[in-house]
Amino acid sequence: MAEYRLRQSHTALVGGIHPETHKAISLSRPCQSIPTPEHLLFPLHFSGGGAGEALVAVGDHVDQGTPIIRTESGLVHVASRSGWVVSCDPQPLAHPRHEPSPCIHIQTDPEGQAITLPPLQMADAETIRARAMEAGIVGMGGAGFPSHQKWAAGLTTLLINGAECEPYLTADDTIMRDQADAVIQGAATLATALGIAQIVIGIEDNKPEALEALQQAISEVEARQSFEIIVVPTKYPSGGERQLIWLTLELEISSRQHPIDQGILVHNPGTLAALHFSLQGQPITDRIITVTGEGVPRPQNFRVPIGTPIRELLIHAGLVQSTPYQVTVGGPMMGFELHSVDAPVIKTTNCILVREAVRQQIEPCIRCGACAEVCPVQLQPQRLYQMLSQDALGAADHEGLSDCIACAACNVVCPSNIPLASWFQHGRHQLREVAKQATIANQARQRFQAREARLTRVAADQERRRHERRSKSGDLLAKARQLREEHNG
Amino acid sequence: MIRLPSNQSTQGVMAQVLMALIPGILAATWVYGPGVLLNLAMASVTAWGAESLCLWLRRRPIRVRLSDHSALLTGWLLALSLPPASPWWLIVVTVATAILLGKHLYGGLGQNPLNPAMLAYCLVLISAPVAMTTLWVDPLNPPGVTEAFMAFLGERPDAATGATVLSLYRNEFAALTAVEIGTHPLLANSTLGLIAGVEWVMLAYLAGGLWLLSRRVMTWHAPVGCLAGLGVTAAFFAFDPDAGTPVWVHMTAGATVFAAFFIVTDPVSGATSPRGRLWFGIGVGVLTYLIRTYGQYPDAIAFAVLLMNFAAPMIDHYTRPRIVGRPASVKGSGGTS
Repeated sequence: MAEYRLRQSHTALVGGIHPETHKAISLSRPCQSIPTPEHLLFPLHFSGGGAGEALVAVGDHVDQGTPIIRTESGLVHVASRSGWVVSCDPQPLAHPRHEPSPCIHIQTDPEGQAITLPPLQMADAETIRARAMEAGIVGMGGAGFPSHQKWAAGLTTLLINGAECEPYLTADDTIMRDQADAVIQGAATLATALGIAQIVIGIEDNKPEALEALQQAISEVEARQSFEIIVVPTKYPSGGERQLIWLTLELEISSRQHPIDQGILVHNPGTLAALHFSLQGQPITDRIITVTGEGVPRPQNFRVPIGTPIRELLIHAGLVQSTPYQVTVGGPMMGFELHSVDAPVIKTTNCILVREAVRQQIEPCIRCGACAEVCPVQLQPQRLYQMLSQDALGAADHEGLSDCIACAACNVVCPSNIPLASWFQHGRHQLREVAKQATIANQARQRFQAREARLTRVAADQERRRHERRSKSGDLLAKARQLREEHNG
Repeated sequence: MIRLPSNQSTQGVMAQVLMALIPGILAATWVYGPGVLLNLAMASVTAWGAESLCLWLRRRPIRVRLSDHSALLTGWLLALSLPPASPWWLIVVTVATAILLGKHLYGGLGQNPLNPAMLAYCLVLISAPVAMTTLWVDPLNPPGVTEAFMAFLGERPDAATGATVLSLYRNEFAALTAVEIGTHPLLANSTLGLIAGVEWVMLAYLAGGLWLLSRRVMTWHAPVGCLAGLGVTAAFFAFDPDAGTPVWVHMTAGATVFAAFFIVTDPVSGATSPRGRLWFGIGVGVLTYLIRTYGQYPDAIAFAVLLMNFAAPMIDHYTRPRIVGRPASVKGSGGTS
């Protein structure tokens, strides 16, 4: 019943590339739920929301929906299925940091129960924040940032990022096709609670089915907001947060700012659907994952309990074990290599990509500038590469290293096969380390200077008192001498 | 980070540039005789030999680096720049200089600040000016196979060689007017109203260059900048036809088109941003006019390219585009830590 406006994007992406999308291969089969696996793993850290602590002990029995991890942001992760906690040991993770974390290991109980939260009909900002925290809502598209932390006051626009520009990925597409109602209702409820007047959907023109489903869902939802669907041309990386804001709202956001500083709240459709289900009482227990690539016999999207070992997913997609393939978590552009198939699915795992390993000979840079032509933020990657390879971190920072969005378009076009994006990622990491060291050094210097000042003050104090004492005793001596002289005289 | 297979490879780029030279080679052979092919063969052998020697001395994988075709390209560019009746030793010295001094002394592919071919060309132009300027074959009377071999082996051919149109204009302007020069046999018997036969070589190079542009091996900025820089400057000074070489001679004669598409576009020693490449090309064009008109040598592209090579880092510095999300483009150079 809500009104919406549908239009093409008026602005164009700077740079960018047109890689083969490979999206059809995982869309040929419908999305399918997998049976509950025997074991589930929940990392205490890196699950989204920062470092966490266990709320259960080894030997406990948990239900589906029982809170098991509380993170430092206050966000709670729940058990995705019922079962017994059998251990909490470090396990390899599917996370770009490649650090192990203690994982709550649950042996699932086929006769277990599910507990739900009380449904909320209407929500204000406070209740929706509280619900997102207890339902474990984190950004399901990328970094796993706790959603409630973005819900500040003064937001004007909710932008739904349905671009999904990364090749091979179809998880968001599937969510928008199959759960369009949940996405739109979640968006409308959130916008109402936060007082947002405008809801904008950015979607690439290669998803006509999802577009139709969203239009249908908007025409059925009861909402006060105005909806606008903006179709953007298929080009990588139009789904980058700042790139999509430029394509839809025609605003440039500096790398020193976040979109919410400009009143723009960006959410992935999966996050909004999860929010909608959490308002009905269902915390996040499952997510949709694309399992695809040339190495997968039956590529498709799966609805998977959080915590499922990736090995299980690969088996369901028909992959026999120990193949010469390379397994990537995420898409081919921004994904990272999986080191162990025993790592569990977390809330940000959107794709498991299995392809033949490509190892190319790295050649010297011939400064052809192809990377500069495709960079969506207009950096000069060939200069940055030269600076970083000479350890000139300060110069690279000056040239805009921290503005790099890590889209890896430069990697694709480099005729010399230089892994530019990895260089820049490493460089940004070094910059952060340098900044951290500088802060620590600064604090140490301040402490040292304060201590020096205190010691000087104390020493001066003592000196002054000694001087006073001495002058006093000196006075007495002089007086005594004088008295004696008078007496003798 | 995971990589998609790149659509271009370094060796693919080099191979396509070599292919784009083929029409020009055929046309040059037709106009200047088989000496061109002898030069190419000698240059290829020397380039491979010098490259292999350097790689062996530097303990680098020889086969991997040879297969990127960059040494071969340097050799071919020099073979086509040198006079068609050059003796073999001139080719060997030039190509070996380019590979040894121009490229590997700086650290090999991608490290050289100057265009290796142009560096070597300038070196021999200064060291052997007579051979470099007078061994141009008369296009009206190209030598046969035997004569070409004799020239290649070092026997100086007498009748069939001479000056180029550019040096003709340079040398004769002191005494003659433009109309008088126009009656010279080099200019009188032309096919397209240009210079006898030479325009076909120019058109063949142009075709190769346009093919490279259509393959997106290079961008249009540097060639267009170079041709425009030279053409506009020459046209500006053309108000007095007796004072300088005509615009059409600048644009068609000598190495102009060849350089615009195959020399000025060298990515390693040029500017990298699109705007920077345009300025780089313009600089080469303007300097070429100035050196051709006021300099000591009739052709000047090699000097112009080297001068602009020195300027390329500065051009890159001042043509940085505005980073998306920032109010203005980056200024200054930042720290060096």
